[in-house]
Amino acid sequence: MNSLIPLFIILPLATAILIMLFGRLAKVLQKALPSAVLLFLTGLSFYFIISWDSGIYIYEIGGWGPIDNIPISIYFVLDGLSILMLCIINLVGFLSGFYAISYIKRYTGENKFYALFCLMIAGMNGVVLSGDIFNLYVYLEIAAISSYALVAFEVEKEKLEASYKYQVLGCLSSFFILLNIGLLYWYTKSLNIADISRIMEASANKNLIIFIQILFIAGFGLKAALIPFHAWLPDAHSSAPSPISAMLSGVLIKAIGIYLIIRLFFNMFDITYEIALLITVIGTLSMVIGVLLAIGQWDMKRLLAYHSISQMGYVIIGIGIGMLILAKGGNKSWAALSIAGGLFHMTNHAVFKGLLFLNAGAVEYTTGTRNLKELGGLSGSMPVTSSTSLSASMAISGIPPFNGFFSKLIIIIAAAKAQYFLLTFLAISVSIITLASFLKLQKKTFYGKLKNWNLNKIKEAPFTMCFSMIVLAILCIGLSLLIIPGIRENIMIHVVYTLINKSNYLLILSEL
Amino acid sequence: MTIARELFISTFLANISFIVFLPLFTGILLIVLPQRFRIFKQVFALIISIITFISALLIYIAKSAGRYVNLFNLFPLRYLSLSEDFEAVTGLAVLNVDNLAKLIVLFVCLFSVIIIIYSFAYINKANNIRNYYAYLMLTLACSVCAALADNLILFIIFWGFLCLTLYKLIKGYDEESSTAATKSLILIGASDGFIIFGMAVLWKIGQTMEISRLNVATNNFLNVFAFFSFLIGSFTKAGAFPFHTWIPDYAKKAPASSSAFLPASLDKLLGIYFMVRICKDMFVINQWLTLILLITGVITIIIGVMMALMQHNYKRLLGYHAVSQVGYMVVGLGLGTPLGIVGGLFHMINNALYKSGLFLVAGSIEKRTGKENLNDLGGLSRAMPLTFIAALIFSLSISGIPPFNGFASKWTIYQGIVDFGKETGIANRLWIIWLSLAVIGSALTLASFVKFITGAFMGRARKEFNKVKEVSTVMWLPQVFLALVCIGFGIFATNLVLPKIFAPLVGDFQYAGSWNSSTISFLVLISIILGFLIYLAGNIKNMRTADSFVGGEKIQQQTGYSSTEFYKTISNFNIFSFFYKKADNKRFDIYNVSKDIILWLYRRFSTAHSGVLSSYAIWFLVGLTIMLILLLSFI
Repeated sequence: MNSLIPLFIILPLATAILIMLFGRLAKVLQKALPSAVLLFLTGLSFYFIISWDSGIYIYEIGGWGPIDNIPISIYFVLDGLSILMLCIINLVGFLSGFYAISYIKRYTGENKFYALFCLMIAGMNGVVLSGDIFNLYVYLEIAAISSYALVAFEVEKEKLEASYKYQVLGCLSSFFILLNIGLLYWYTKSLNIADISRIMEASANKNLIIFIQILFIAGFGLKAALIPFHAWLPDAHSSAPSPISAMLSGVLIKAIGIYLIIRLFFNMFDITYEIALLITVIGTLSMVIGVLLAIGQWDMKRLLAYHSISQMGYVIIGIGIGMLILAKGGNKSWAALSIAGGLFHMTNHAVFKGLLFLNAGAVEYTTGTRNLKELGGLSGSMPVTSSTSLSASMAISGIPPFNGFFSKLIIIIAAAKAQYFLLTFLAISVSIITLASFLKLQKKTFYGKLKNWNLNKIKEAPFTMCFSMIVLAILCIGLSLLIIPGIRENIMIHVVYTLINKSNYLLILSEL
Repeated sequence: MTIARELFISTFLANISFIVFLPLFTGILLIVLPQRFRIFKQVFALIISIITFISALLIYIAKSAGRYVNLFNLFPLRYLSLSEDFEAVTGLAVLNVDNLAKLIVLFVCLFSVIIIIYSFAYINKANNIRNYYAYLMLTLACSVCAALADNLILFIIFWGFLCLTLYKLIKGYDEESSTAATKSLILIGASDGFIIFGMAVLWKIGQTMEISRLNVATNNFLNVFAFFSFLIGSFTKAGAFPFHTWIPDYAKKAPASSSAFLPASLDKLLGIYFMVRICKDMFVINQWLTLILLITGVITIIIGVMMALMQHNYKRLLGYHAVSQVGYMVVGLGLGTPLGIVGGLFHMINNALYKSGLFLVAGSIEKRTGKENLNDLGGLSRAMPLTFIAALIFSLSISGIPPFNGFASKWTIYQGIVDFGKETGIANRLWIIWLSLAVIGSALTLASFVKFITGAFMGRARKEFNKVKEVSTVMWLPQVFLALVCIGFGIFATNLVLPKIFAPLVGDFQYAGSWNSSTISFLVLISIILGFLIYLAGNIKNMRTADSFVGGEKIQQQTGYSSTEFYKTISNFNIFSFFYKKADNKRFDIYNVSKDIILWLYRRFSTAHSGVLSSYAIWFLVGLTIMLILLLSFI
């Protein structure tokens, strides 16, 4: 298992370079290669999740041993959370890449698209595997910069503007993250996450650590689009080509935002009540304000983008409640339940939000518009798109038996168990407003009268697009199986226990 | 003896697995099958629903063969070899097959058969709904499972899925119909959210999630809140004030068979079923909650019927009556006495019978004439005699005229109210108010059904309807069948229906007044025959026919009086006109009010998103600074 870990970074990176060099020469290669590679990596990550024995695997690059007990080598660390993230990234990546084969035909510079796409995946895989904080930053920038370029891929006025805003704000957050890494290095003389954690446990300058934590919250909060750092997201996510929007909303904000918040605040810092409260408050704000911003939108992809903010709020309050319970020294199993709910919702969100963006892409592909006021009556001529979109809408609004229902249920029950009744109530109200806004999307897009389209033009999307949408729609129902206690214990709870038992993570120090 | 016993139990389990899994798998199969096997889908759905009904009947007849049944002991699942990891799942999957659940399941299956037969002719190529039969089967499966489920989590999964089938059973062909579908799903989805809130609170309180083992006292704020959350769920499903507003819209635009299936019968059965579970099994309610229940009940009765009086669209009129009738059930169940609960449940069954019958009638009228408005109809009684007679019986039943079933159940509820007034308590002392409002509601129901019957069937036959003829057999058969059941339930109310079907649900109850439904029916029949004889024996030869008297004006061939005009007097009445105007603007619709509030909030937040990069960057810095100031200053 150990020796397979670097494939997650090497393969997409190599694909990106190959496509850049030879893509123009072999058109088939540039289309097939990313999908093939990502399919292989998806298979590999599923093999990991099945054969995982709840241990932590380490892969060492270079072979420099620790000097003065400070690990200076580059480590890839694979634990439960990383495996979960790898599954999400590569699965959604594969489906978006496969979808793009038909979708991206219309644009010029296809080889650049695939190269940037693979680069972004390599970056995200690197972020979730990195065991040290500086490489993490490098991979984060690889993912972020390729996403800046991909947002502007269509090279129109609005797209360039969106990309510009995204770059400026993204760089602002990257600056704070880098500053933080510098501060941490100055303070602890180490870059390895586990090592930093060990050193900070030994000697704590409380104010400095809180300062660093807040900078991290702001920095990663911007990448994860949490309110008030969300402003770039609606523009960027709605401007990108649809398979990229699916990647950005479905995966990127999680891999370089939420994942890092979880990883650093559970495994590097000690959980304190104040920080936990702050995270929960930010999560609540995102959840409530995000949905209120979404409901009035008339641009299909903007509506979806605002919902990403709101859904990330759910994930964060799931995590935040878990942290609050842990910080107060409450029952660990409730905390685990809450965190598992958050992670489960993150997984589900990758699936249904990815699907929704792919649906929006299919609608735009056929009709050429994504303005809800101009659409209508497509359910008859686009049955696959309409039915998959309905299942994704039901999943995000939490209608049983779709996956979103179960993850929200866990979060809501955990919130009530921890006595945050206001939070419970808000989570339910937001869920209802989400339902309302997705029914609006369904109604305006697929129901009602068919507008004056050229009827011959309106037909179902091509095969590769339909395939990706159908697979994701099946997952929308299939992932609900993760709630079944046997499966839940084997996957989710293991992931959570390696998270909340910090000492487990610190064990990797002994293997360095 | 033991072998017979085992055989009995195994057939019992087999029947339960039939009603639970057959429709579920059929529904999934029908979705997967392509559209062109339409005839096959119809026949297959009918066969499965009949098998399901027979199984339900056998379960109903089987007297107590183990109340709790685990899903994992049933046919397809018992062969799963579950590892120990899955032990906890089996705990969730308990079905509670008690008398109430059996009754609900029986009627759910009965209505499915009836509606599927009716749909054979009603749903054709022109108004076909994608996967109609598949969603009917899924609705059947989920309703059965929801009624049987003992664990609240299992319950909410099936219950929640029902709102999706409701959404898929209406065809969104234009703006209004897709709005109606959207509104129904949002309101019911919202109510499901409240049920989840109630579940979360129960989880916190630390009681179990099993309905049969719950017994929560309503003595503190949190428990009362949970009670109301559950109640909102059941009220929205059944359609009680103020969560009823989806029903009239849905009824107006949905195909009549869908309205007859979900809002008229299944949603009532399930909503009221859940209310019984809440009030009787899950919570111990106090007198203030009783008072609130009764107030909601009578408000539902009056508001529903007052709105119905004003409707010109007959499907919408029926929709408002579907609301009004729920009020009686809420009042009956709210009383909390055995007599009240029996009355409420009896009324639930009766209402499902005649209300789905009325929707089928509406569907037949629409099918033959293509008109949706009572003003455009008239004189159909000659052309569609069977439909007319069925409609008359349903209308008399719903208006509470003896000897039909509606009278029997309303009478039971009135008896319950009178009995209830003998106890001491806040709500008890006001018994006369509940009673009088319920009776007034019944009278107004009669008034509005006079409008329906005269508007559609009476009066001069219009020229344009010359070619209208009776609907096909598969369409009138369900109507006539339901009408016969209405009569049967009415005539044998006291000596068969109440003691045999409803008494086992609550135990013994006593009538204050003596009343025997069969004797009364017999007397009614005799008086009708006598009257007819007198009529025949009298001056039949001297009778002359004349045109309608219209105040001396010359009657013209085209003039037909419009029965709806008479009802304008009410809406012009000063006090009422104010409210009717507000209601027309949807000022009382909880859906529209909350929509306005949310859109107002949306506008407030969206103005801040100006798209100016510098202000976005400032938000980032301000957010960062606020966090720093807060945390560093407090520590």
